Amino acid sequence: MEAGAPIGASPPSAAIVTSGLTKRFRGGQVAVDALDLTVPRGSVFGFLGPNGSGKTTTIRMLLGLVAPTEGECSLLGLSRAEALPRVGALVEGPAFYPYLSGEANLRRFDAADPTAPAGTARQRIGQALDRVGLSAAAGKRYRNYSLGMRQRLAIAAALLGPRELLILDEPTNGLDPQGTREVRALVKEIAAAGTTVFVSSHLLAEVEQMCTHAAIMRTGQLVAQGTMASLSGGRATRVRIDTPDAAEAARVLTGLGLADVRVGDDVSATLEGHAPEKVNAALVGEGVAVRGFAVVRPSLEDVFVGLTGEGFDVDG
Amino acid sequence: MRKGTFMRWGVPIAAAAVIGGALGAGPVIAAVSGDPVLPERSAQQLLADAAAATGKSEGPPPMSGTVQQTASLGLPALPQTGGSSPLALLSGSHEVKVWYGGQDKVRVAMPTQLAETNLIVNGDQAWYWDSSSNTATRVKLPQGGERPGSLATHRPEDLTPQAAAEKMLAQVGEHTVISVSNTAEVAGRPAYQLVLKPKAEGSLVQEVRLALDGENYMPLRVQVFAKGSAEPAFQIGYTQVTFTPPAAENFTFTPPAGAKVEEQDFAAHKREMGGEQQERAKEAARDVKVVGEGWTSVAVLPGSLSDLTGKKADGATPGGEESRFGGRDGADPAALLDSVLKSATPVSGEWGSGKLITTKLATALLTDDGRLLVGAVTPEEITKAAGVK
Amino acid sequence: MSTAESTEARTRRTPGLVPVAETLSSAERRPAEPVPPLPPARRPWAFWRLLGSELELTFKRPRNLAMLAVVACVPVIVGITLWIVAGDEAMGGLVADVAGNSLMLTFASFSFLVLLLMPITVSVVAGDSIAGEAGAGTLRYLLAAPAGRTRLLAVKYLNAVVYGYAVTAVVALSALVTGLILFPAGPMTLLSGSTVSMAEGLTRILISVGYVGAGMAALAAVAMALSVFTEVPIGAIAGTMVLVIVCQVLRAIPQLSALEPYLLPSRFTSFDAVLRSPIDTGALMSGLVTFGAYITLSLTIAWAHFSGKDITA
Repeated sequence: MEAGAPIGASPPSAAIVTSGLTKRFRGGQVAVDALDLTVPRGSVFGFLGPNGSGKTTTIRMLLGLVAPTEGECSLLGLSRAEALPRVGALVEGPAFYPYLSGEANLRRFDAADPTAPAGTARQRIGQALDRVGLSAAAGKRYRNYSLGMRQRLAIAAALLGPRELLILDEPTNGLDPQGTREVRALVKEIAAAGTTVFVSSHLLAEVEQMCTHAAIMRTGQLVAQGTMASLSGGRATRVRIDTPDAAEAARVLTGLGLADVRVGDDVSATLEGHAPEKVNAALVGEGVAVRGFAVVRPSLEDVFVGLTGEGFDVDG
Repeated sequence: MRKGTFMRWGVPIAAAAVIGGALGAGPVIAAVSGDPVLPERSAQQLLADAAAATGKSEGPPPMSGTVQQTASLGLPALPQTGGSSPLALLSGSHEVKVWYGGQDKVRVAMPTQLAETNLIVNGDQAWYWDSSSNTATRVKLPQGGERPGSLATHRPEDLTPQAAAEKMLAQVGEHTVISVSNTAEVAGRPAYQLVLKPKAEGSLVQEVRLALDGENYMPLRVQVFAKGSAEPAFQIGYTQVTFTPPAAENFTFTPPAGAKVEEQDFAAHKREMGGEQQERAKEAARDVKVVGEGWTSVAVLPGSLSDLTGKKADGATPGGEESRFGGRDGADPAALLDSVLKSATPVSGEWGSGKLITTKLATALLTDDGRLLVGAVTPEEITKAAGVK
Repeated sequence: MSTAESTEARTRRTPGLVPVAETLSSAERRPAEPVPPLPPARRPWAFWRLLGSELELTFKRPRNLAMLAVVACVPVIVGITLWIVAGDEAMGGLVADVAGNSLMLTFASFSFLVLLLMPITVSVVAGDSIAGEAGAGTLRYLLAAPAGRTRLLAVKYLNAVVYGYAVTAVVALSALVTGLILFPAGPMTLLSGSTVSMAEGLTRILISVGYVGAGMAALAAVAMALSVFTEVPIGAIAGTMVLVIVCQVLRAIPQLSALEPYLLPSRFTSFDAVLRSPIDTGALMSGLVTFGAYITLSLTIAWAHFSGKDITA
């Protein structure tokens, strides 16, 4: 049953599918509430939400650590036992044996995977350490690792085998800006090799910079999901013009058919499908002194605020 | 995963049920697997067979086994006595191993934690080995007049079902209702079970059950049930038994290097210890009066507190006093007596007044006018007997 | 909306979104190159590889090695103490036995260790097995690997059994070496008073190691059952020790003597059955049956709870 069953079958398009996924903990607290999530293959999927919004519980359910109260979830369209060897995971921070070296720790987790070939363990562990830049510290005890090294070792553990899906829970936690940039580059590199990456984060900027798709969680419920474009597309793109001729500019914009024209320190309006360069040309053509012209796409934060009416707790 | 919760917990529950079943309901499982049905026999036939089996001149067949003796007589908590002391047999559960290779070959071993006492009788000599004192005692047995065979069974007498059965059979008569079943199982062997029920109201004994081996009528177990309790107050029987001649090395003993070796002549021993005791026993027997008959008979003997320390009430407790070969364990009868007397209740009536000691199977009355009454009877019965001067 | 026209402007003016646009377009192109399906086949030696990793972890851990060292010291101390007092002629029983034969020190050491110190070492390893991983958080990574819950439980238990036997063997070896140095070698006197050759004495030591190890395996199963219910390893360890001590107390109460055969520690001391002549196989067998019952019950409870447990640490 396990041996090569899916070979030849076209891989299902979704890497993660959940339907009505719900977790109610003892005591009645609902951590995840009827979550319907679809993560397309090949995407870098941002799983965004403030701390405590149910992201980690969802990931634990995906990995089979926590049993859902209701609903279902599937990884790569396979049974969990078949799927998990193809999934690398970083869940709620690194956890290793402090008295073992980084390398010995990876050997330990590699041994736990029943599909990992023992013969190539040394080579795969070396590669994984190399990818996260820990080769030099491979023989050092985990106890003596810095926070950033620990985080990188956890990512290395997720990269021990060829993975079809990488689930990274807050991968940049505890990293300095340099480390954060490295993780971002690594995620991009992994995604470029065809692996689906599912990244949870409470940092808007991180998701905006890394992801092709995103889902937004709030108190256990899914607020929105889709491609970054479609998420942002839900909100209108605006032009903002810095000009001394505010009244004239407003008139031209209204004349062009742009909506929601506002006049303040500068003049702004929603584009309503007009090409920005044509708007600019029209303004200049009408003699408006344009000092600055900007197209403002809504940020995820705007999307979040718009959908929930609440600010996003950026610092968690 | 959640759906499977009940199924998963079904596994340990099933395991617990199987283990609990094997523990508590061994007989039930045996019953399910088919009753051992023996050919029907009347009580009389069985009694005769049993008497023949125990009384055969060539003795019982060679065998070996484990005998377990359990007493819950309802005595007050006994002071902790030495593990191999006879007094220890009055409470709790004890195990001895028995090897019997024919009339003059017997080995009885009493294993305790990292120690063992052994009595090995072979022909005209006997060894008593006590590992905790590292002492081997050689006893020379007299030849001729006194057959070693009778002596051989002398010591294990109180520890083997044969002897106990003999005592019980002696009681059978007009005072007893006897019934028999052919479906018992003892030590894994099918057995007949004789149930002896006293007719008399005043007896503390509910019934005595005697299990006889289905093949050779060897008594395998004796259980004495007190009135109003489902568990036997006293029980002695084989937990394991095989009727094949035991290996010869069981009956040979060579004192190990470094052990203390003591010599004793049985005849001298008897003159020394037994002689005095016999004298006393004779003396006592002269004074003993029996009131009533059968199950409700009460022994009346002259006694006072000070006398008691020298004489223990016999008869109520099989496996009671028997001086061991070289047995010098520190069991203190006085301490036992103290604790028993502490539980005595003062009583009085037309007959006078005294102290009453009750256990599940026996009642003793120590009257203030210096008599000791003992019997397996209710307190009412014993005070009635106290009225008979 | 004409994306083609606006791309350049967007690229320039909203730098934060540039990578998104790029990744998005590349992601949209990618599904053309199919992900190579991995062979999900289970490797035949996977179970033993995990067990090997577990044993390596156990036998490299300084704490566990220290415990082995401590139990190895006890027979040496007992041996030297007995060697000093052996000159005193008044001593009987076990002291005399040990002084008389080097092999007896093994049994004397077992009788000293089997009721407390050896149970402590085994319950530390077995009690720590699941709870320790849960407490450290490594359990979630093992299960995501995926180690498999039943497989992990089996490996952890076998590991504890191996450690239990290691403790037993270390005691026996240390006692044997100490005994051979301090006391005369040669035929051994049994408790029954008969004497056996040294070779047979060694065989009997081997049997007692097998029996005591099985007792430790039963205790390990109990500790393991407690271990799956907690994320605090010291809780499972202390819980097991409390059970052992409660059993000792119950055994000391004469009114509860009916309970005694069912208590696990009462069976630990039955190793002295090998010192009887003939070997009391009945006592050994009933001990092994009791161990088997404890193992079955404890492991099924551990499995029932662990296979459905939410791992939240």
